[in-house]
Amino acid sequence: MNALDRLRDPSDRTLAVLMLAPAFLLLALIVVYPIGRLLWNSFFDLRLSGGGEARFIGFENYLLVLTDKDFWNATRNTVLITLITVPGALVVGLALALLANLPFRRQWPVRLALLLPWALPLAFAGLIFAWFFHSEYGVVNDLARRLGGSAPRMWLLEPAFAFAAICLTIIWKTSSFMALILLAGLQMIPKSLYEAAEVDGASRWQQFWQITIPMLMPSIIVALIFRTITALQTFDIPYTMTKGGPGNATETLAMLIHKTTIDYLDVGYGSTLAVFMFLLSLVVTGFYLRRIGRNA
Amino acid sequence: MKKPHTLAGTLLAALLLAGTAPHALADTKLRAFAGGSGQRPDLMRKLFDQYQQRNPGVTIEVETGGATSELQRQYLGTVLNAKDTSIDLFMIDIVNPAQYAGANWVEPLNAYVGEPAVALKPYLPAYAQANVIDGKVAAMPAFADAMFMYYRKDLLDKHKISEPKTWDELAAAAKKIQQAESDANLQGLSIQGAPIEGAVCTFLLPYWSQGKELNDASGRLTLDKDAAVKGINQWLSMVDQGVIKKNVAEVKTPDTVNEFKAGQVVFAINWGFAWDRFNSDKDSKVSGKVGVMPLPAVAGGKSATCLGGWQWSVSAFSKNKAEAAKLVKFLASPEASKFLAAEGSLLPTSLAVYQDADVLKAVPWFKDAGAVVAAGRSRPLSRDYGQVSDVIRTSVSAALARTKKPEEAVAEIESRLRRVMR
Repeated sequence: MNALDRLRDPSDRTLAVLMLAPAFLLLALIVVYPIGRLLWNSFFDLRLSGGGEARFIGFENYLLVLTDKDFWNATRNTVLITLITVPGALVVGLALALLANLPFRRQWPVRLALLLPWALPLAFAGLIFAWFFHSEYGVVNDLARRLGGSAPRMWLLEPAFAFAAICLTIIWKTSSFMALILLAGLQMIPKSLYEAAEVDGASRWQQFWQITIPMLMPSIIVALIFRTITALQTFDIPYTMTKGGPGNATETLAMLIHKTTIDYLDVGYGSTLAVFMFLLSLVVTGFYLRRIGRNA
Repeated sequence: MKKPHTLAGTLLAALLLAGTAPHALADTKLRAFAGGSGQRPDLMRKLFDQYQQRNPGVTIEVETGGATSELQRQYLGTVLNAKDTSIDLFMIDIVNPAQYAGANWVEPLNAYVGEPAVALKPYLPAYAQANVIDGKVAAMPAFADAMFMYYRKDLLDKHKISEPKTWDELAAAAKKIQQAESDANLQGLSIQGAPIEGAVCTFLLPYWSQGKELNDASGRLTLDKDAAVKGINQWLSMVDQGVIKKNVAEVKTPDTVNEFKAGQVVFAINWGFAWDRFNSDKDSKVSGKVGVMPLPAVAGGKSATCLGGWQWSVSAFSKNKAEAAKLVKFLASPEASKFLAAEGSLLPTSLAVYQDADVLKAVPWFKDAGAVVAAGRSRPLSRDYGQVSDVIRTSVSAALARTKKPEEAVAEIESRLRRVMR
């Protein structure tokens, strides 16, 4: 049977390959190529500010990253933001989901309140909160003044407070996404479980820990995966609130990559930084996937 | 079967050639990139129309895009890296000729406009200096800009205070007025301390006024750390005296404009465009009460201001370099400069135009502006200006926020810039 005949009368195996080919091609084009290109670029001294062709420099960029104070600072900030905002958003999101799951007669105002922060663009949320925390015109200082008459604080100009303000904004923005996923999970739990527990004399607290949390675990894991990966890529909110300042106290890895590649037009080094961010995401995702495997 | 096909093809080709050839020889289409609204593509269009009328056969298209100098640099960087031939001439910020010439993105204009000493003689020295790289004319001046010291003429007159010459005199004058007016919202001086381009100038103004340079002729860093620390401390002492707001590290260019317009500022440093906003905006409370003067210096120093402004360059990848250069020559002429001054209050790049009677009739304040622009200095000339700017503004803003000591901020600027500016 020659190749033409095989195409005219394909076996199951050939048919499968033919059917999958477009998807593989697409995957190669939109996933494999960009990642491959990123890796390729990271081995070059490639500056778009001109003045010379790209020069192959092997692992020089990688060695530079390891001794780059800005990289370690940005990585520390990114990891800290992830460690603070992911559990923060989970707790707030769970509370919101439980609230939305209560048998309100009118459910839509609660659901709308849940959806609104999620629907706002990240950069817009950042701008709004930058105004809230503005030392002169901000509502936060105004409230503090009305409540305790304390002197206005320059929230976004002090590293620790700026960091806290950013984390708070991220939690506000992302907890509604958590809540939406958890709410869907909550509604999947059969009511009969609670009725049986009630008959057995279990308290609300016991029901929460023995039924709700275990039954919700798959939803929690899914929400955590999504949130963690986006937390590692945090850019918009600190960019609009502080531009990474004061100094570079709130600069994240994504912001450093943006600055290096877009502002400095240093594509080679920017790509190397991006490879590190990719590896970080890969490690974290791998950790979650292993957890899921174990749970399954 | 083949013959009629070939015949028809030949006939069609002949017809097409007959129809288009004469036009193709006479017509030159030029594409000019004139950035965002700040570069006034609307006014440039009018200049292009004038040029087209005088040069039949030349058509000029305007391309716009990128609201800020940084965004425009990013866009042009991408286009020029790709050796794209679609843009023939483009407008660049004064901080950019060094980068563009270094990257061989611009066509040296010596062959079209003459040698630098002659071609750039009519222009203010700073523009002549910024546009000549390694003896080659990299760009020709389009219009100028500079940081001005605006002040409340009415308040200075009321309290019988003359224009201060040093920063200390300014601080004393501002404090006197603030106390006498007993208005808690009245600021003495508004400067930009947020990590934006304005903060680069905020750093350079007191530094330059001590007679210090940031770079030598070849672009190498020549930072005098003591003078730089002294400059930052100058601002911080004004914050301590209550002349500058405590949250200065949050202040951006529009904040200064809005607060001065609202009558909440005695002295304000800002770019040339602010004059129109103070005097012409409907919500301005200071219209007709604004004065403009050269920036003060540190005691014993000399006034210096941060120069802005835009230049026209011819793309190294243009297919119509000679025509584009001819157009650039027109765009940099006194005639075009007069038009831009009268129609759009855009500052001229040659001193002669500031003294022109027609210009002064249209924009009388240019009488005071000429001297300020003449004392202007351009920011460091570097191929990697984006990085230079980022290093300075980030560290200076942190020092003004008191997150870093001035000594730390300056040490950081030095160690980072040493790598970039070598």
